Amino acid sequence: MSEYIVEVENLTYSYPRKSNVLVDVSFKVRKGEVLGIIGPNGAGKSTLCKALNGLVPHFYGGRFSGRVVVAGMNTLEHTVAELATKVGLVFQDPEEQLSGFSLTVYEEVAFGLSMLGFPPEEIDARVREAIEKVGLKGLENRSPFELSGGQTQRLAIATVLAIKPEVLVLDEPTAQLDPIGKFEVFSVIKKLADEGSTIIVVEHEIEELATFADNILMLNEGRIVAQGPARNVLSMVEELKKYGVNPPSVTELTYLINKELGAKLDVPITLEEAIKIYSEALGVM
Amino acid sequence: MPVPIIKVEDVWFAYNEKVVALKGVNMTVYPGELIALIGQNGGGKTTLAKHLNGLLKPKKGRVLVKGMDTRTTPTHEIVKVVGYVFQNPSHQLFASTVYEEVAYGPRNLGYEGEELERRVKWALSMVGLEGLENENPYDLDYGKMKLLTVASVISMDPEVFVLDEPTTGQDHRGRKILADLCLKLNEEGKTVIVITHDMRFVAEVAKRTILIADGRILMDGSTRDVLTAIDVLRKAAIKPPQIASLSMALRERGVDVNAITINEALEEFRKLFSTSKGTS
Amino acid sequence: MSGLGMGLLRKTVAEVDTWIHRLDGRTKFLFFLWISGFAYLFCDYAVTAFFLAVCLVLAAYARVLRPIGLTLLVIVVPWIAVNAVILGLPFGFPWNETVIFEFELFGMRIPVYYEGLSWAVTWPLRIGVTISAAMLFFLTTNQARLIATLIKLKVPFRFIYMVIATLQMIPMLMDEANTIYQAQVSRGLRTDVGLLKRALHYFALMVPLTLSTLYKVQVRAIALESRGFSAPVKKTLLHKTDFDKADYMFFAAMALATIGLLYIYFTYGFSPIAHMRYYIAG
Repeated sequence: MSEYIVEVENLTYSYPRKSNVLVDVSFKVRKGEVLGIIGPNGAGKSTLCKALNGLVPHFYGGRFSGRVVVAGMNTLEHTVAELATKVGLVFQDPEEQLSGFSLTVYEEVAFGLSMLGFPPEEIDARVREAIEKVGLKGLENRSPFELSGGQTQRLAIATVLAIKPEVLVLDEPTAQLDPIGKFEVFSVIKKLADEGSTIIVVEHEIEELATFADNILMLNEGRIVAQGPARNVLSMVEELKKYGVNPPSVTELTYLINKELGAKLDVPITLEEAIKIYSEALGVM
Repeated sequence: MPVPIIKVEDVWFAYNEKVVALKGVNMTVYPGELIALIGQNGGGKTTLAKHLNGLLKPKKGRVLVKGMDTRTTPTHEIVKVVGYVFQNPSHQLFASTVYEEVAYGPRNLGYEGEELERRVKWALSMVGLEGLENENPYDLDYGKMKLLTVASVISMDPEVFVLDEPTTGQDHRGRKILADLCLKLNEEGKTVIVITHDMRFVAEVAKRTILIADGRILMDGSTRDVLTAIDVLRKAAIKPPQIASLSMALRERGVDVNAITINEALEEFRKLFSTSKGTS
Repeated sequence: MSGLGMGLLRKTVAEVDTWIHRLDGRTKFLFFLWISGFAYLFCDYAVTAFFLAVCLVLAAYARVLRPIGLTLLVIVVPWIAVNAVILGLPFGFPWNETVIFEFELFGMRIPVYYEGLSWAVTWPLRIGVTISAAMLFFLTTNQARLIATLIKLKVPFRFIYMVIATLQMIPMLMDEANTIYQAQVSRGLRTDVGLLKRALHYFALMVPLTLSTLYKVQVRAIALESRGFSAPVKKTLLHKTDFDKADYMFFAAMALATIGLLYIYFTYGFSPIAHMRYYIAG
């Protein structure tokens, strides 16, 4: 059994009406790894997420070449429903993920399980566990439509967690949320990461990503233009800016200080690192 | 003594008996200001913003736009002065060409012929979409759609622009384009009010920031003052931009740094490192 | 979520819990079919009124009398009024014979006939029974159990889903429509303009709304697919869907009533109390 939960080889894909959305994309994700995906809009990040659970190509059609294997399943050989047990995909807009079928938070989390035919006793246990994991305990009987943005998005995560997939894929989960909502969702993701979940997150919130991603992949116009440990990729300030991506502010600042003031500071990727580095550099503690 | 262009006087507003969205809000906007309106969702930002162009009328108190009371002046008069760009482009775009979309607003105001064409061309050039007049709005990518919605308000040539979360859903390049656009409009003398969650955007663009929470204005002052008011921000569960946090941490350690943007920080460190002892 | 749409959504959720609510959906559905059947079997305004009263009593018990009552008031009462005028007066109904009373109008004495009047009342009452029983079913069966009922009645799952999801989407669409309206007002849309401009404004509202709806539907479809919606397995039903004591008691009551009503029907005919004579099938 491979140690890699996700293996993407030479993935090239065109939608029926849009060509070369992904070109020759290859990467692997290990069990327990947290991979961040960054890049400008239109780079193919969402398409890549959808290729991981089979929506691409089964739902959209188009031209697909290459291989995507998730938890041992080749996405071409399995239906989206089958892949849904291995890959949990969370989308950007919290409200649009509500099934529209459930009256309570509990029912919403149970929805996926009931669609997949899990027995009732098992459903209850899984639902309660998932609700607890995302911090929505106590809200089981609330209507899903009464929740805040952050709560709704955490609900969406819970619905996916209940199925206990091998990998969690989140496509810009905080884009539509206010600061509290972003905080809530990132807290859940970090907690899951700490517990050893395999997670793939597409985000523009690079400063947050820097605090929990192991590796980072950058896409531009369908191709991978940077790949590697978070620290390495995020420090490539020129490369990132070339593709219209802002590195974390402290990273960019340090890069400029080194470049224009001739300093040789270590380049931080998080605020904590920056405080430490700058305090030392300025001789203060 | 400059004359305010918008005065919000002790405004109360409720959507229904249970949800009171604004609880006695006071705000004065002078011509030419560049203001950021921040706060959690549900705190009253959008409700307040919709009072500024007459979409919503206060239940108590009043809103004066260039002296016109929004409760008694028809909304179509107010929107001539205050342009409002909604968050979601797909809530606005309906025409079959970019040109028609941008022409809709001024046409409603009674402009036609050469004057109309002039306005449309000018608006498109302001946002950098000239040459796309015959494109279908829905064929554009999200970033350009966003710019198109701004252009369709620019063509009405209001004195005040209210932009509702222009950066949400955008990538970094898109945010920069919108930031530059806000600054450009402000340079032309327009009053610009931006609702946003992006603190880096606020630090880099807005001169004045208003923090609203639970229907009340918690703080209203210079962007620097608001983004470094750590206790107030914490109460509103808002994180300052990373550079501001760095500055504050260093200030706690005795270093006099007040930057809230990368460029400011670079300049301050330039001075610091040229006077500090052996650090390379 | 904002206020306008949410209010509507909340209204469609039964928040009360009575024994009627606890009955299985199929029981209530059967009741609806059963009592409607008998309402059409008998051609008798008194009997039909009795059936209606039974429905209304059950509704009162289940605390859903208000919506049902309002619906009847809006549909049935005006209908009876109109019918009464048309059928109860001379020339309105070919079998008018018995005069029950007369009234004066413009110096003329106008008779009101029993046959016409009883017909005028009967059909609306029958429809009233059908409406009441149907509404009783919908209003006291919460959505999940409604779905479970339909599944057990072998209605195709996808169809059920489409209907329910559409209903849920309506409040959201109403909010959207409101926002779109506000966005266009902000661009100078006015309601006090001529017809031509109004036509243009219609586009300004409908195009974004339609596209937004289509988009939402697509996104939801994707989200559902990603959660195993089309898995070809037997869906687990989350709610109790078996009959229990209350259901069996209800069935027993209906069975007894059936015997009684059929006895009356075969002994006293289709119009035992009102003695209406001309029975037109349907």
